[in-house]
Amino acid sequence: MPTMIKKDDKAMEPPNEKPHRKIERDDVPESSNHIPPPESGVLKGGKVNSKTRALKAVTSIIADADENPQKKVNNETNGVQKQKTEDLSKRIGKFEYLFYKFLLVLLYICFGSFRYGQYQYHKMKLRIFSIIYNHAYTPQLIRQDVIPLKKIPKRLAAILEVKPVGDVGGGVTGLLNDASEIVCWTVSAGIKHLMLYDYDGILQRNVPELRMEIHSNLAKYFGPAHVPNYAVKIPHSNKIFYNLDGIETETDVGNEIEANQEKDKIAIEISLLSNRDGRETIVDLTKTMAELCAVNELSVSDITMDLVDSELKQLVGPEPDLLLYFGPSLDLQGFPPWHIRLTEFYWEKDNNEVIYSVFIRGLRQYAGCKVNVGK
Amino acid sequence: MKMPSIIQIQFVALKRLLVETKEQMCFAVKSIFQRVFAWVMSLSLFSWFYVNLQNILIKALRVGPVPEHVSFIMDGNRRYAKSRRLPVKKGHEAGGLTLLTLLYICKRLGVKCVSAYAFSIENFNRPKEEVDTLMNLFTVKLDEFAKRAKDYKDPLYGSKIRIVGDQSLLSPEMRKKIKKVEEITQDGDDFTLFICFPYTSRNDMLHTIRDSVEDHLENKSPRINIRKFTNKMYMGFHSNKCELLIRTSGHRRLSDYMLWQVHENATIEFSDTLWPNFSFFAMYLMILKWSFFSTIQKYNEKNHSLFEKIHESVPSIFKKKKTAMSLYNFPNPPISVSVTGDE
Repeated sequence: MPTMIKKDDKAMEPPNEKPHRKIERDDVPESSNHIPPPESGVLKGGKVNSKTRALKAVTSIIADADENPQKKVNNETNGVQKQKTEDLSKRIGKFEYLFYKFLLVLLYICFGSFRYGQYQYHKMKLRIFSIIYNHAYTPQLIRQDVIPLKKIPKRLAAILEVKPVGDVGGGVTGLLNDASEIVCWTVSAGIKHLMLYDYDGILQRNVPELRMEIHSNLAKYFGPAHVPNYAVKIPHSNKIFYNLDGIETETDVGNEIEANQEKDKIAIEISLLSNRDGRETIVDLTKTMAELCAVNELSVSDITMDLVDSELKQLVGPEPDLLLYFGPSLDLQGFPPWHIRLTEFYWEKDNNEVIYSVFIRGLRQYAGCKVNVGK
Repeated sequence: MKMPSIIQIQFVALKRLLVETKEQMCFAVKSIFQRVFAWVMSLSLFSWFYVNLQNILIKALRVGPVPEHVSFIMDGNRRYAKSRRLPVKKGHEAGGLTLLTLLYICKRLGVKCVSAYAFSIENFNRPKEEVDTLMNLFTVKLDEFAKRAKDYKDPLYGSKIRIVGDQSLLSPEMRKKIKKVEEITQDGDDFTLFICFPYTSRNDMLHTIRDSVEDHLENKSPRINIRKFTNKMYMGFHSNKCELLIRTSGHRRLSDYMLWQVHENATIEFSDTLWPNFSFFAMYLMILKWSFFSTIQKYNEKNHSLFEKIHESVPSIFKKKKTAMSLYNFPNPPISVSVTGDE
């Protein structure tokens, strides 16, 4: 088996770097590709979703009453002819239909106000949490928080997203800052692998900036003299960058000190993932396998779970143990599907910032601690 | 040195006694509550009221947007049985019952497709006894469903059942039976039920990869893309849009279920109740939530508030126009005077 895998590897690389497919992706306005699930889509909307707007939206379903029933009738006549009786009742029940619409709007309004209360409650909780869990830019404190836990994940993944440029912590700089903060926490907690996912691959495109940002943030936490070694990896293009190698910095002092340390001892490995590593990679793998089978280098019976798994491990990375999401309601955004088999999810309801309390509470959940401070 | 140890032993024994009595009491109180609750529910007036309320709620939600594909991870049957001190089999039976009632409700809500995680490939590692019970239960339920799907009077009439998963792991008789039932219910178009029986999502993906490769070899279909790949999965084109996934009993992971279907734009709901306790209202609230937010989302996409509509329809003559003007044509500002009095 291992010999075959090696062969496969060689063949695996070209499809990832085919230029034409990349161009195909670039000309599409990328952020518009992803349609979030309703709840998180609405909650992330920010100012657009005022209460009055929600009310308008909810009441608007009465206005377009004419579209829906016709569609439904059409479907049913297409489907089963025996159900004519039901059609009849529907035609008679125009008044009834309107009544149910009003009732639904009423239900929506009730639910909406309940949800609003819940939203405020969650926000309050988050504020309390952010007082209780505070890292104060001190890695020792983070370690102190982690030590009582029974276990910590081996590999951590986090889904990040770009916020509108006008918001606090928005735009690409905000994203880079969030990413580097998470890196610092992960290093301090003693976790060796981190996967950062963002749908559009913005992190992958701004690797030099990201490395600078991570470096300066680590310097903030650990002091400029003791910046831990880190490696930034892009599995998709198979590149690894160490620390600040190859980047010219203003002060070369930091670089010299690092050169003195042992280079091979890396405190954290950060891999950057994007939507490209999800479905597309699996389909690409299928294509490659099909090509290999066509030239008789591989037979269909050789395609086993182990082979696919090892290939995807090489192309994307191993399965993370804990996935943190910093949005208001769970939205996986196309995170590589093969890799979330047993992954534990953690997110904080109605939270929309990258904050330390989500990180540490996520670790607590993973450890199976039922101690909820602040409740 | 003996005295304290005796006291200690007695302490421990006392503690155990206390804990046990406490458990007994809790259980007794619980069962009394359950009995009272069941009695109240059995009153004809109350049940009449309950049924009617349910009907009205369902009909109301039906007129709004409703997810097309709802999926369940039925977790917690064993814990349910344990908490009620019943044999494991009873727990699974209760779970089956819950699924049937929820199916009926989903169908009436206008959901086109429901899928349920009945048995994972990993579950073959459970004790043989339990696996056998599950298999037996499954065949019984399968027959029942087939009968009901053909019964004109039954609410589940007109539904199609599909068993998806790696059927090579099942016994031949079982496979024959599945085939028969699938054929019987083939022409149901209103509603599709997918039962994932020996299923894991990775297995699903693997099978799709194999099928795609085979297809490619046979007819030399030149391109494999994501859409074609998705359509080849066990659930066909339903694979691409699972709008709502519900997992009961508190775990926050997918456990190898519907990974491909759910990892983009699907709402995943986790509930702490055990599956047999998962009631109509819990599911109703989840679907209402989905419906509420998708209404707002649709509205935001269309982006047509009344004001904007009017504003657009007004001809541009009536709107104030910004005209370009040179700075030197502006009226003069007031005299500028400095505080120091310099000229």
